[in-house]
Amino acid sequence: MSSDQVATGVINLSEGDSSLANEIKELGGEELMECIQCAKCAAACPMVLAGFPFFNKRIIQAIFLGLRDALLDDSSIWACQSCNRCTEVCPREVNPFEIIQAMRRVAIREFALPTLSIEGLKSLYDTGHAVYLAGAGNTRAKVGLPEKPPSTVANPEALKELQAVIRKTALADLGIIPMDESGVKETCEV
Amino acid sequence: MPRIGVYICHCGENIAGAVNVEEVRKYAEKLPGVVLARNYLFMCSDPGQELIKQDIKNGLIDRVVVAACTPRTHEPIFRKAVEDGGLNKYLLEMANIRDQDSWPHWQDKERATAKAKKLVASAVAKAAFLEPLEDRFVEVTRASLVVGGGVAGMFAALDLANMGYKVYLVEKSPSVGGNMAKLDKTFPTNDCSACILTPIMVQVGTHPNIELLTYSEVESVEGSVGNFKVKVRKKQTYIDWDKCTGCGDCVNACPAKVPNEFNEGMDNRKAIYIEFPQAVPKRAVVDIEHCLNCAKRIIGTQPRTHSKTGEPILAPCEKACKTGACDRSRAYNPEGEIVELNVGTIIVAAGYKVMDKAPFKEYSPQSPNVITAMQLERILSATGPTEGQLKRPSDGEKPKTIAFISCVGSRDKRYHTYCSKVCCMYMLKEARLIKEKYPHIDIYIFFIDVRTGGKDFEEYYNYCRDLGIKMLRGRVGAVDELPGDRLRVRAYDVDLGAPVELEADLVVLATAIEPAPDLEELGRKLGITCGSEGFMKELHTKLYPVETSVKGIYIAGCTQGPKDIPESVSQARAASSAAAVPLTLGKVIVEPLISEVNQRKCTGCGTCVQLCPYSAISLVEDKGRLRSKIDEALCAGCGVCAAACPSGVITLHGFTNAQIHAQIKALAC
Ligand code: SF4
Ligand code: SF4
Ligand code: SF4
Ligand code: SF4
Repeated sequence: MSSDQVATGVINLSEGDSSLANEIKELGGEELMECIQCAKCAAACPMVLAGFPFFNKRIIQAIFLGLRDALLDDSSIWACQSCNRCTEVCPREVNPFEIIQAMRRVAIREFALPTLSIEGLKSLYDTGHAVYLAGAGNTRAKVGLPEKPPSTVANPEALKELQAVIRKTALADLGIIPMDESGVKETCEV
Repeated sequence: MPRIGVYICHCGENIAGAVNVEEVRKYAEKLPGVVLARNYLFMCSDPGQELIKQDIKNGLIDRVVVAACTPRTHEPIFRKAVEDGGLNKYLLEMANIRDQDSWPHWQDKERATAKAKKLVASAVAKAAFLEPLEDRFVEVTRASLVVGGGVAGMFAALDLANMGYKVYLVEKSPSVGGNMAKLDKTFPTNDCSACILTPIMVQVGTHPNIELLTYSEVESVEGSVGNFKVKVRKKQTYIDWDKCTGCGDCVNACPAKVPNEFNEGMDNRKAIYIEFPQAVPKRAVVDIEHCLNCAKRIIGTQPRTHSKTGEPILAPCEKACKTGACDRSRAYNPEGEIVELNVGTIIVAAGYKVMDKAPFKEYSPQSPNVITAMQLERILSATGPTEGQLKRPSDGEKPKTIAFISCVGSRDKRYHTYCSKVCCMYMLKEARLIKEKYPHIDIYIFFIDVRTGGKDFEEYYNYCRDLGIKMLRGRVGAVDELPGDRLRVRAYDVDLGAPVELEADLVVLATAIEPAPDLEELGRKLGITCGSEGFMKELHTKLYPVETSVKGIYIAGCTQGPKDIPESVSQARAASSAAAVPLTLGKVIVEPLISEVNQRKCTGCGTCVQLCPYSAISLVEDKGRLRSKIDEALCAGCGVCAAACPSGVITLHGFTNAQIHAQIKALAC
């Protein structure tokens, strides 16, 4: 089931995977079943405005119906801005953002993540920032800031600690990004 | 010369918003016979009524006209005020300038005001001819009739019986119990339906004040509150119920097979049968239409004799019956027996019927695996066709995927426009019962809206969703039969925004709740109208929900509209207390607004006799001539006779010819 099948074709519920809901609950979406599809979250969500086919409410319904493949084949779940507006407005305390996070965890386990996300993860491991631009130092200097920000970038010890932590996460087991200890970079430029 | 006081109500903005009340008042003041005209914000309030009382007490007026809202709710209030002021309470006339004027002509203030003037003028004209009348009282027969032996009827009967009144409980089936007896478990507590109902049935069956008339139907009703004369037909059972012990030996012996109504046609019963195991009374009935007349014995004939043994050749049922209750030699009257009852009040609790699946061609009703929710209820019930085992009808296999379809025939202009109210909950309940027992069965419920309005219902809904029952918003468009006894359900999931399809082994249709068969006819016998949906109409949705337009007749349960068990029971108990009021008082007031014949002048043409819808008029001999006579107790004051009498000698008190003519004249000018 692909996203355009969702847009044009018929979804075969018989192929749904009933275990998905439980997996989501285990991966942080504990309040999943509280959702009554009222769509208040969708009314607040920038993903809807951006036109993604699977936004918070629909992601939840797809999880209810076990439409694992449809969600994995579509990039929508990665479009969440983590703005958490949905969480603030949901009348059922579902915490839709957490559900999307849980769905992302499912996706990562199945290596169904876009290149952009792999780069982000790699950058996180290498610099402690998911987004950190090459040449940022120059730009900072131009406006009179220290070249390196007072974060893991300027503090190799802290970065080492962070990397040690990341190596203990599921990410390391999955081997999505290279994490050899020797590869710790001294530079913040990626 | 009468001295009329006119009181015009603003009804807050209700009237004053469209009618220039002060202008109407000034106009009224000048009408003939009017000595004063006042207006007030709320005439029905205490100070409003006080105005009338004081004016009467001060000797200013002796007739009262109130221009306000509907007399249906307000006339009694103003009559009381007139009486408290010291006048006869029938010296009051009302003009309905709200329902008949300010409401419909809200947009046109000028003409609404003009119309109000006309209405007031006509009321004033009539008031000039008003005459004092005296209330009458009739003695009340201290007994009640309850029509319908379902859960509502049984509770109504028990309450009245416990208050000490004699109750006749008429039920058309052989046993009491109604639809509730068919249910497996009941929401929101999941009590076993039979377990909570059976004790009630037994109480009804053994209560000294209740006379149970099962397998009986109301034939006709005459009379009015306090004194209804009811004819009930006890249908022919072809079994001597005094002797029958309900052992069921005859049933086991009978070879004839008939679709079993109690199991919603999913298995067979015999031609001689006991309705269901917990039946009260537990008695056998012969379904004469399907009886095979074994041993070549039609009912009412003597057995042939065996050529060798000389013994009589009996039918299997007869042979099996040890008590002699089943005796085919007896000549039974197929019409049964008419019993006449005298009761003071009547409660109708005729129940409902669930809609059949046949009309829904788009859902493949021909498939044995497309069933109604009531059929599923029987499948789930331990006394049902599968003894509680979840098996699908086509092959007896346990289904792996079940789809429920809601609102089948409800909220559908082609069938029933109303919401059947209980379907959401019973679907959730059935799904839950299945899911709790067999967690691996996949259950999908296709909803339009989930309506779980009752106490503790939303919690029930949440619990069901937690069990993993899948809810989809979107009415199913089609159910197709696939090879291998499977069914394809096609819908559009509104929440996903995509068409979906599902292969299911069993499809359950939550078909609509319909009025009980022949409810309309029963209504005609009782004089109660049924609404466009076919359910009986209450007198007032909010204030008189168990009363009907016929005094002394009350309604309860699904007779009035779809209802769940808690609601039916509450309404039944409300109806029983309303029905007990006249019984407790022992007499009821009858308004004197009835017709009277001037017998001296009556020519005895008999026109009125034919026309009276309440059979209140008869021709009686009077000094060698036939003259019409009206029975006060039966006259409902409809006025048909007074309007029709060619000699003009019938007077409808409160609406005399002089009064009506004056009223019309005032309107016409
Ligand atoms: S997550 Fe909350 S806000 Fe969104 S549809 Fe569900 S209940 Fe409504
Ligand atoms: S956190 Fe994600 S899902 Fe929630 S409103 Fe923001 S973008 Fe939408
Ligand atoms: S005669 Fe008796 S046994 Fe035979 S079909 Fe009729 S009821 Fe049944
Ligand atoms: S008013 Fe006349 S027609 Fe009507 S019920 Fe009375 S007697 Fe019968």
